[in-house]
Amino acid sequence: MSVRALKHTRNLSFVVAGLLFAGVAIAQTPEERGLEIATMVQAQDDGFTDSESAMTMTLINRSGKKSTRRMRSRVLEVQGDGDKSMSIFDEPADVKGTASLTHSHATEADEQWLYLPALKRVKRISSKNKSGPFMGSEFAFEDISSQEVDKYTYKYIGDDEVDGVAVYKVEAIPAYKHSGYTRLVNWIDQEKLVALKVEYFDRKNSPLKTLTISDYQRYLDQFWRAGSMHMQNEQTGKSTILEWSDYKFKTGLTDKDFDSKALKRIR
Amino acid sequence: MRKLSATIPLLALTLLSVSAQAEVETRGNVSLQLQAFPNDSVHEATQDSNFSLSTEIEFYAPVGENGSFTATPFIRIDENDNERSRIDMREFIYSHYGDDWELNVGVGKVFWGVAESSNIVDVINQNDLVENDGSSAKLGQPMANLLLIRDWGDIDLYILPGFRERTFPGISGRPRPAGVIDTDNALFESSDREKHVDFAGRVGMVFDEWDVGAHLFHGTARDPLFRFNPASNSVVPFYYQYTQVGFDIQATLESWLLKAELTYSSGDEIDDHSSLVSGFEYSFYDIKESGADLGIVAEWMYDERGEDSTDAFQNDVLIGLRLALNDEQSLEGLLGIITDLDEGGQLITLEASRRFGSSLKGSLQMTIFEDVENDTAFSGFEDEDNLQVELSYFF
Repeated sequence: MSVRALKHTRNLSFVVAGLLFAGVAIAQTPEERGLEIATMVQAQDDGFTDSESAMTMTLINRSGKKSTRRMRSRVLEVQGDGDKSMSIFDEPADVKGTASLTHSHATEADEQWLYLPALKRVKRISSKNKSGPFMGSEFAFEDISSQEVDKYTYKYIGDDEVDGVAVYKVEAIPAYKHSGYTRLVNWIDQEKLVALKVEYFDRKNSPLKTLTISDYQRYLDQFWRAGSMHMQNEQTGKSTILEWSDYKFKTGLTDKDFDSKALKRIR
Repeated sequence: MRKLSATIPLLALTLLSVSAQAEVETRGNVSLQLQAFPNDSVHEATQDSNFSLSTEIEFYAPVGENGSFTATPFIRIDENDNERSRIDMREFIYSHYGDDWELNVGVGKVFWGVAESSNIVDVINQNDLVENDGSSAKLGQPMANLLLIRDWGDIDLYILPGFRERTFPGISGRPRPAGVIDTDNALFESSDREKHVDFAGRVGMVFDEWDVGAHLFHGTARDPLFRFNPASNSVVPFYYQYTQVGFDIQATLESWLLKAELTYSSGDEIDDHSSLVSGFEYSFYDIKESGADLGIVAEWMYDERGEDSTDAFQNDVLIGLRLALNDEQSLEGLLGIITDLDEGGQLITLEASRRFGSSLKGSLQMTIFEDVENDTAFSGFEDEDNLQVELSYFF
């Protein structure tokens, strides 16, 4: 019997025990239930190994004027820690060729480098800036960074619906320092286990932004990835739309592709 | 490099026609620059404004599965200064990528360093001084470079065949002191002159929040001494031979960046000496939830030779303020005041830039020389304050 099968048997016996002691299961606190859902969301994405994608970002100001940024990203899954990611900027033209590298960590501070092609300079930069805007958009750095279970504490609020889809409502409170938020409310699709909507509350606990995530597609029969994200700033009226495309998985990227030296050769 | 210069327009044309086909990626800019000199000069260049046009285009083509070729011509046409009107190949280099190694052969550009004020460890490329952009413009350096990426860090080895002389403003160029540097009659310690083959190596490592590098350089100094050349009856650059060892260190501790560059230089034509640039940058991020960042920079530049130093910053302090709005136009600025602790002179610079639309960028640079009459490095620049405004189209 393989280890995996053994594990399943063990899980099954837990389920049986759970059924037998249903009364005990009900005693699960909202915090435990919240963590359980967050863990399930994270677990279903385990094993993607690495991925590549392209992104178009449209900034829309209050009067409806639009401006566009384009970039590509590469992510390497790191077991037991935060992922490694690299972003290569294509637009606007003055930042073409600029690339950033992040070694994210669940609990410690992330490590970040920036490559400036005009100077051929790789700069180590501080990752303390969580709440600042990414590329002048309504997305903060913390919104687009690697999402790890340990980065938040959770509380299950209840079940709800988003456009007829059954969701779990889970509140998440940032456990890392320097967040711009007191809390986030995630609306998680019960079947796909992906977020459909996120509400962000600022440091004064006032509603700040609403993120709507749509056009999910499944890759390799397992991994859900969003096609579109719409971030609406409720306080300024500005919004940003991210559109993802050209997803590729298991392309054979390794640690060496996420070395700070690799920033110079990236295209 | 004269012969190379002559072939460059031809190469650029070839590159343009090749790039019309698939596979070649281009990026670059065309820039209009206007310089203003509010004070009358005490020398031959009497213009109070100067206009110039420049372009830099990078052509990149993959070669096979694991290689690439990059050519980056830079061209400037200047209204007044013939030394500034020129063509330079910033890059003309073939790169071959292995899993954990890289070979670069050709003309290239390399940056070493961590400090804001002065990068004393940055020794591979020659400064393109006539660009008047705070020493970030560099001339392409002929090189063969092997990079080895190891789990514990990386090793860069360089053979540098061929030396590039520093550019200096010509008789009609500003900003410059009263005397003109005669770049046509440069002197060299080595009998190989500009054909001397230099060597360099650097080891870089990352220990959590510490980025550390150690380097060795042996060859022709990029930073010249100045001598009177009786043959040409002029002041000429003198490029001596020396060996430099050094370290660059940066600790990235949340709001604090702690930085140090340290070198020890030894040669027959100079007093053996150590130099240091060290300081910090402290940043306030997302001030009052506006998205804007404000950074405070403080650095000390020191050369143990003191008044006999050939370095402009032998005992100087930089105090700087950096502002980045992180808005849609990426408005940012840096105000820096360098004060000479020995001689009292001050160099005040303000740099700012922002984007207009999606392809245009405007930038501004202001340089003010205060009380530099008695400054060894900057005396003669009293009346050379300047404002430089540039509009660049990027593609």
